[in-house]
Amino acid sequence: MATLEEKIEETRRLGLQVVKETEEDRLMTLSIGPQHPGSGHFRFTVKVDGDYIVYCDPDPGYVHRGEEKMCEYRNVIQNIPHLERPVIHDSTNVTYSYSLAVEDLMGIQVPRRGQFIRAIASEMNRQVYTLYWLAIYGIFLGHSTMFMWPAGDRELFIDLLERLTGARVTHAYNIPGGVRNDMPEGFKQRCLDHINYFEKRLKEYEDIFYNMPLFRQRTEGVAVLSKEDAVKLGVTGSVLRASGVPYDIRKVEPYDVYNEIDFKVQYMKTGDSFARSYVPFLDMKESCHIMRQLLDKMPQSGEVRTKLQPNPKGPAGEAYRRVESGRGALGYHIVSDGTPKPYRVKISVGSFRNMLALPFLLVGNKLADMPAVYWSLNYWPVEADR
Amino acid sequence: MSSDKEEQKQKAAKAAGAEKPAAKPAPTPKPAAPPAAKPPAAAAPPAKEPEPPAFEKGLAQELVSKFGDAVKIVYIKPVRIKVETAPSSIVEVATYLRDSMGFDHAESASGTDYLKENHIEVNYHLGSYTREDLLAHIMVLTTKANRDDPRLPSLVRVYPSVEYHERETFEMLGVYFEGHPRMERFLLPEDWADIPPLRKDFRIKGR
Amino acid sequence: MASYIESFRFGEFIGSVLWLVFWILIIFSLVGLPLLFIVLFYVPLPPLGDEPLTPYLFLTMIVDPTRTIPIIKYMIHTDLFRVAAFPGFTYAALFAAVTIFVERKFLAKMQLRYGPLYVGKIEGWLQLAADGLKLISKEIIVPAAADKPIFWAAPIAFVSVAAAAAALIPVAPGWVVADIDVGIIAVFAIFGFFPLIALLFSWASNSKYPFIGGLRALHQIIAFEIPFIISALSVVILAGTLNLTGIVESQIASYWFVFFLPISAFVFYLSSLAELERIPFDLPEAESEIVAGWITETSGMIYGLIQLGTYLKLYALAALFVVLFLGGWSGPIIFPQEIIPGYTGEKIYNPVTLSAIFWFTIKTFGVIMLMLLPRGISPRIRIDILLHTGWYKLIVLSFINMFVALALIYGGILGPEGLLVR
Repeated sequence: MATLEEKIEETRRLGLQVVKETEEDRLMTLSIGPQHPGSGHFRFTVKVDGDYIVYCDPDPGYVHRGEEKMCEYRNVIQNIPHLERPVIHDSTNVTYSYSLAVEDLMGIQVPRRGQFIRAIASEMNRQVYTLYWLAIYGIFLGHSTMFMWPAGDRELFIDLLERLTGARVTHAYNIPGGVRNDMPEGFKQRCLDHINYFEKRLKEYEDIFYNMPLFRQRTEGVAVLSKEDAVKLGVTGSVLRASGVPYDIRKVEPYDVYNEIDFKVQYMKTGDSFARSYVPFLDMKESCHIMRQLLDKMPQSGEVRTKLQPNPKGPAGEAYRRVESGRGALGYHIVSDGTPKPYRVKISVGSFRNMLALPFLLVGNKLADMPAVYWSLNYWPVEADR
Repeated sequence: MSSDKEEQKQKAAKAAGAEKPAAKPAPTPKPAAPPAAKPPAAAAPPAKEPEPPAFEKGLAQELVSKFGDAVKIVYIKPVRIKVETAPSSIVEVATYLRDSMGFDHAESASGTDYLKENHIEVNYHLGSYTREDLLAHIMVLTTKANRDDPRLPSLVRVYPSVEYHERETFEMLGVYFEGHPRMERFLLPEDWADIPPLRKDFRIKGR
Repeated sequence: MASYIESFRFGEFIGSVLWLVFWILIIFSLVGLPLLFIVLFYVPLPPLGDEPLTPYLFLTMIVDPTRTIPIIKYMIHTDLFRVAAFPGFTYAALFAAVTIFVERKFLAKMQLRYGPLYVGKIEGWLQLAADGLKLISKEIIVPAAADKPIFWAAPIAFVSVAAAAAALIPVAPGWVVADIDVGIIAVFAIFGFFPLIALLFSWASNSKYPFIGGLRALHQIIAFEIPFIISALSVVILAGTLNLTGIVESQIASYWFVFFLPISAFVFYLSSLAELERIPFDLPEAESEIVAGWITETSGMIYGLIQLGTYLKLYALAALFVVLFLGGWSGPIIFPQEIIPGYTGEKIYNPVTLSAIFWFTIKTFGVIMLMLLPRGISPRIRIDILLHTGWYKLIVLSFINMFVALALIYGGILGPEGLLVR
């Protein structure tokens, strides 16, 4: 039995050239995105060795719109509609922290009823976002029913938000000083009906999707992000909570009326893809609970908004405020120079922070795990690009 | 690239801790006493408090006593502290913040361009996931780089979470972070051939 | 919640049908009949069987339709009819079309939506035709660096191989395109071509994702081929023949084999899902991982042909399941002995064959529904779990029932002069 060296020697004697296979030759570079069905408006390059990913390089920016620059040219009110474009499915939360930061800068006080309505709208919108996210997670795992059901049940909250704000997805509802308009007649009852129905559906989701053995096989123990790594990488939202850090802005830095609400921060300790996909589900359950309380405690009448000047401006200064959005902490750092237009607006988004975990988690996993890991990071490409 | 308005400013990157103490006209973004410091969840009317909260003050005092002149407290508000430091000592301060004070991750790193003062201010928003009493707090660690040749030491060795934020700051404001493994294009198109877009002398067309 | 209810009026529906009939009659009498007469009187016709085909015969057919029966009888017993129409391609393709429609509606109902709704007024039953027209009219894009002859040949080969597999299935007594002694081995040999075609096509498209998909198809189908064959082997042991018609007849003589070999039937069902590349085993076409797998570079009718081939394959596998485990066409004769009482002329109507076809169709359809079901309830499996299932679990499972089959034969319960043989 000739060894490899002997064979090479033999080949050399015959006068042929020997080219040894290197490690690099074994790798195949795959471009996941921007036109790949499993990427969104986003590209990441992976190198695979057989079926294993050995290298991953995210390349965002395909939907970069320069939101931060655009903010510098408009006054604080004009900024609201374009700021929600990066995540239209979560538009209330996006404008929520913006409004909070502007209120901080200008010293505006929001009426109590306005604070409650804001919180209800943002809880609903978080449901809408999470359902949409769950739907895409389903299609990424090849589960078409898991795509259709949440995408259909999203209508429940879209319908409510449409009644509340007048628009289906891009609400522009939160403004500095409160909300744009009051609740319509009979909204509370309709809200409770929808929440009751939705809680029944959530039970079905758990039975049919999360307890499905194949779903668990695909996600359990895949791409484990330990607590230490999660803290080190500074991930946020459900990714952080899935790794065992009970960190929720609504709890640690309660804004508006959240300090009056009794709720638990949902977290898991395993840190795998399953936990990352299950924590948003637990959040949805908890959110129903929160919405009930908010509807209960809300003052029955009163102002919903503090009237502002036509072209409002505050003193120079800076503010940094955060809310818990569907993808984790969403912060606005606003620097004002005393003019009606902000001097600088920095949007710190959860997706951009969670993107850092993508190469960290993908390397060493199989190519088949790529969608299960990628989408479990609660990553919204458009938001990361801003 | 840059529109070099005032040529006389030199590379002040390694100059000293206390930068530009005086002569700052109107658009100063960091007033000594922030006017509108509303507690985040208070239902009461906005009380303008001259006296900063005790806990935050303690944190700031700890930093000042450790580093002395190298750090300068810009403001102290409820759960927000802004600390300015010189580029030369920022790695040291950040390491101390991480190891001894429990600020274990960075939420964001952003830059603000001040055209008149001819510097770019880079803010690191540091937070904590592990220290119970710091969960709500944001430590804004800030430093300034000269607009003409903005170079700063990178914090990526201290906070791995700033990797992408520093890349973004690099391409949006042109601040070069020394020691960062990849100072490359990130969000902007590959054929971007203008000045960094978030600088104040970059104008959107038609505006 | 928003819902859509289409207003449906029965009167309007009847009206539209009558309108269609009216136009068909008009066109037939103005164009069809003159054309027919021109053909009859000016074009010499070939003899058909022992009877010469003359215009006189055709004209008498109009007044005496029973005279057409010998011609029809002759026609349906030609090989061409068998290959092209009844047990062969058209029957299978019709099955495929109905399957696609049913799958869409069935899946839609499962997912709380409507499915096709507009094309064809009633429940969108013409949607498939619309899709087919769209596919035909679309441009076929061939990658510049593709291996063109193989790229063009592979889809055609895919459909022909699927049709060849369907050709071996006996639908009713005597109604089979190719009744060969080694029927079941021939079926497996033909199914062995599919991974080869997938690999060839993926190689010919000269692109990365198809290549990964082709390799996955190869891995998967080979891993499931062995339990597939072994599970069918126990049927062969019980029946004592490799001929598919013989297998059905031996089940008619005793009982359906699914009662003796339930585990084999289960293994066969799972392996056929893997063979079909259906969810949960659709790894070679996993769109969120490798775009569309080995069919990434297909477009237009190339894609259409591969889809057609896939559904023909689905029909062939479901029919094979029926033949092997569910007693083929066995079932009570439900049609009456004669339609027109007292008719003594030459007959074309045969109640035995008709009910055989009926039962076979019903059973095959049931199995197809069973094969469609996992698509609604299951996510995609991962390749390593899949291969593990194939190589470690299913092979062992399929062996269990082989021993059961042998015990049944040697215990004298089945087989020649067995206890349960009627």
